[in-house]
Amino acid sequence: MQDRPTSAELLEALEEFMRDRSSAARDRWERFQFLVAANSLGILRREGEMEDDFVHAEWAGLDALMGVEGIPARKAEMLARLSERNAEFGRRIRAGEFDGAREPQLLDHLYETVLNKVRIANPAEAR
Amino acid sequence: MAGESPIGDTSTVVPAAVREALGDIEVGQPWKLAGGAMHDSWAVDAKANGPTRELVVRVSPAGRADHAKTVREFEVLKTMWARGVRVPEPLSAGEAPAGESYLVMARIAGDANPRRLLTEPGLAAARGAIIDQLAEALAAIHKAVPADVHAELRLPEPGEDPLAAMRRQVEDDYHLYLLNPHPAIEWAFRWMDRKLATMAPQERPIHVVHGDFRVGNLMYDEAGLAAVIDWEGVHAGELEEDISWFCTRVWRFGKNDLEAGGLVPREAWVRAYERASGVSVDRERLAVWEVLQNIRWAEITMMQAKSHLDAQVRNHELAAIGRRTGDTELEILRLAGVTGANHAG
Repeated sequence: MQDRPTSAELLEALEEFMRDRSSAARDRWERFQFLVAANSLGILRREGEMEDDFVHAEWAGLDALMGVEGIPARKAEMLARLSERNAEFGRRIRAGEFDGAREPQLLDHLYETVLNKVRIANPAEAR
Repeated sequence: MAGESPIGDTSTVVPAAVREALGDIEVGQPWKLAGGAMHDSWAVDAKANGPTRELVVRVSPAGRADHAKTVREFEVLKTMWARGVRVPEPLSAGEAPAGESYLVMARIAGDANPRRLLTEPGLAAARGAIIDQLAEALAAIHKAVPADVHAELRLPEPGEDPLAAMRRQVEDDYHLYLLNPHPAIEWAFRWMDRKLATMAPQERPIHVVHGDFRVGNLMYDEAGLAAVIDWEGVHAGELEEDISWFCTRVWRFGKNDLEAGGLVPREAWVRAYERASGVSVDRERLAVWEVLQNIRWAEITMMQAKSHLDAQVRNHELAAIGRRTGDTELEILRLAGVTGANHAG
């Protein structure tokens, strides 16, 4: 286990630094660049806090829609497999497999999954 | 770094371009209005015997093969200027000896910063007037048919529905720019196709559309609209395309309760267009168009992130835009009636 500061605390420190630089910027270009950098660090910090739960919820949602599959133990393998499952999911949506009675369940999953992305990337939009 | 053009100094093209447009004339020192990856715009004053001519020269760098596009834009501006649409007066389009393309126009007094238009207290009168002015301008643009323009315009295939044509192009771009799977967008394409299958085919004649009609592509002053600019996307299609792009979430600059460019609610904009044009807007088509336009924007966010990831342009700002795809997907779902609460499709 790493010593403190935790990764979230380090990212927060960097984010604060970028925001300060943005406020003290010499011109509009520099102000904008530091603001974008601060926002990206905020995304990383929230991703560290929330993404683990979100990808497991996404996996469970796909299980309910496409059939249960065991979760790979290693995180990198789990994410690679989740991406593959999403590609397969997209093909089955296009083929019309979820038209009709199963569509409300599909839309529920899509909405929650997208909303979870936005909760990390742009929380102001995730009302 | 600030303000530096990524395409080198294009100001050297300006004096010859101005003399080509206006004859033997004294050309002052150009100053840069805006620089970008695609082209630079230079302001310049020129003087012969008469009054000073205030000009803008837009220069595309050599090697971009932009000449045909520039000429097309010039020809469209000529058509629109002759019809009394508020556009910059076009004076000349040409190619410099070293291969740069240029477009010479009369300079419009005014500002183009959309955030300022939407927020500055001193611009309340402009905000009050501009929706009707934009509706009149757009109605006049749409009165032009492809044969009115002396340049080739991109058209739907013969007999093809303009919405279906754009949907096809948006799908082609989707496969080009996709960085990872997007099941929500896959569903939106499916939703769109089911809608299209139930809708009557579009039977109005096609006409000129601006193709990038949004609050960031206009110039304004205290009295409202000064000019519709940036005609690079011009092509032929149907009116709902321009009306819906103006409503796309990204062009509201955070004023999301005012769907039409952050200025007025969507329905007020559509009615202003109907008053100005005498044409009724198909609300059902418009709803599908707005979903499609947001998918277009989602693709632009992917494309920008991709240009960073592919190392064409290493830039953290472009990389960060890749994480904006999600809030566009959320808008797409909501526009298609998905609320997340009780899942009405």
